Amino acid sequence: METFLKITKTTALMFVRNRQALFFTLFMPLIIMIIFGLIGFDKPQQYDIGVSVTAPQPQTQQFIDQLSAVGVFKIHQAALGDELAQLKDGNRTVVLSMPANFIDGAGTNTQKLTVYVNDSQQAQAQAVQSILTQYLDKTSLALAHAPTYFSVVPQHVDSRNLSYIDFLLPGLIAMSVMQMSVFSVAFLFVQYKEKGVLKRLLATPLKPFQFVAANAITRLTVSVAQTAIFIAVGLLMLKATIVGSYALVLLAVILGALMFLGLGFTISGMAKTMESVPVFANLLVFPMMFLGGVFFPLSSMPDWLQTVAKFLPLSFFSSALRDVMTKAAGLGDIKWDLVGMIVWGIVLITAATYSFSFSEREQ
Amino acid sequence: MSLMRERLVQFISDAQQAGMTSRQTAEALLAAGWGMEQLVSALAVAPAPVVPQQNGTVIEVRDLVKQYGTLTAVDGISFDVQRGEVFGILGPNGAGKTTTLEMIEGLKHPTAGTIHVDGKDVARQTDAVKHVIGVQLQASTFFDGLSLCEIIDLFAAMYGRTVNAMDLLADVELQEKAASQVKELSGGQKQRFSIAVALVNEPVVLFLDEPTTGLDPQARRHLWNLVQKIKARGTTVVLTTHYMDEAEVLCDRVAIVDQGRIIAIDSPRALIRSLLDDGFSKPIVQEQANMEDVFLHLTGHSLRE
Repeated sequence: METFLKITKTTALMFVRNRQALFFTLFMPLIIMIIFGLIGFDKPQQYDIGVSVTAPQPQTQQFIDQLSAVGVFKIHQAALGDELAQLKDGNRTVVLSMPANFIDGAGTNTQKLTVYVNDSQQAQAQAVQSILTQYLDKTSLALAHAPTYFSVVPQHVDSRNLSYIDFLLPGLIAMSVMQMSVFSVAFLFVQYKEKGVLKRLLATPLKPFQFVAANAITRLTVSVAQTAIFIAVGLLMLKATIVGSYALVLLAVILGALMFLGLGFTISGMAKTMESVPVFANLLVFPMMFLGGVFFPLSSMPDWLQTVAKFLPLSFFSSALRDVMTKAAGLGDIKWDLVGMIVWGIVLITAATYSFSFSEREQ
Repeated sequence: MSLMRERLVQFISDAQQAGMTSRQTAEALLAAGWGMEQLVSALAVAPAPVVPQQNGTVIEVRDLVKQYGTLTAVDGISFDVQRGEVFGILGPNGAGKTTTLEMIEGLKHPTAGTIHVDGKDVARQTDAVKHVIGVQLQASTFFDGLSLCEIIDLFAAMYGRTVNAMDLLADVELQEKAASQVKELSGGQKQRFSIAVALVNEPVVLFLDEPTTGLDPQARRHLWNLVQKIKARGTTVVLTTHYMDEAEVLCDRVAIVDQGRIIAIDSPRALIRSLLDDGFSKPIVQEQANMEDVFLHLTGHSLRE
């Protein structure tokens, strides 16, 4: 036991003294988080709308003011030629040309509002058109003094707004725990193997599993520290809000780290040389960074991709963390994510025991 | 006493008897082909200490075989190593030296045969054997990010011991490097450190696999002194080497291995004598043969890879 403590302590010392590892496991993801937090991807999208009025009337101006009141519209008013030039440059989503007598003439014949559409922004233009059509319908009804039969009353149930940083924080924690667990183990142990360190250890009475366990415990501790630092920076610097139980966060982080440590040891068994580590590691880790629900939700992917992506180890991990941190999910709510992580953990650790060994393979 | 030293002493006493001055003797030495390196090697190595009492066998190898697929790396080797001696395993590359050593150390499993170290069966009591041996591997490195002292403490912990790291470093003359990392050491210092680590458990047998390969002559002599110091304490040393002068200076007995078999085993002096008795002579001024002659005579001159 004393032996094991000493070895674990020394392993931790080696980890902390490895500046490169510290940089990649802590500073890189932190920088990503701070940059993303400052950019603020969660600002609502705005549509730039050009308006040109041939013959200004008080009612026309009123209509334009009402349009401006719609939060997502940003109105630019200028001569038609200028606005069309802006549209060509991609600075406008649509340009409206208002006919003379726009409101006054409405009673006698149907007024045509010409909408110039930027073809490169068709989806946005369609959204704007449907809002405009609804708006004009409402105006028509009002002009015809028709009674209002329906009205939509928005009721805010979710008392807090989920900002992008709240969404991102659990994903980034999952991602950096994954990277730390996989890379720090895979590189180090292939290096140990290549340089004969493992063989030297084999000549001592130390049991290989003791050395592996000491390294695993060091990395579990590091992953908990990583999580704490991310949460602290998120809360203090980026005004993130976390609603769930920290005990569940800890549970998910430990399961996630174990699962990815298994992957790290599997890779260090597969890779013969240091040069082949990044090949294996990136082949497995890189796609997960984008498909594992770190930066954007799985639901934004095509259906076929979702069915694959939701079974990735990182997806279970980030989804469990996110449900706990943003929705205050309980143990019962995330049980399937936890089961997913446990199954992956068993698969990867089993793979590691087959793939990784202290002694060189004897043909 | 080494053969070279003996020759040098003989040369000088002959010169003195002939009434030569020191300067004349020095000039005569140079004229006879004694270069700087020969002089250093003859003088740098202290006379071998009194061999401790050889009481019994410490390593017993019987009919050892190691096969890799169809390749037989070790082909039925048997030998004994006596307690307290320095035993050399010599042979060309690929002769099976390292494989033999690693089987004795419990790092590789023999295809057939038995090995006992300090009375323990390596195959069955591997753990007990690991406690009584110290191992220096060919080109093994240690951990980055740790000082020499920290590495020694770590290895001591693996044997469930605590040691005074500074004492061990002083033994190998590395005490001033205690706070350095292994990557900052020179080749000779690395080998000496590697020996210090192999001594953390006060082993009964110390294994050195090509301890002087790649070292310059000074570093080699330095290491020879260290090996003799370790031997003087009564530790048995088993080493492999390519250098015949090294075997001649350090080893009490050597086994010459070729193609997985032992083709000669005896003390260096006895091997040289038997070669001379067979009528061997060298076409040079001094007709005595050295171990290099024995080696090449036994294993042939062709290059091995």
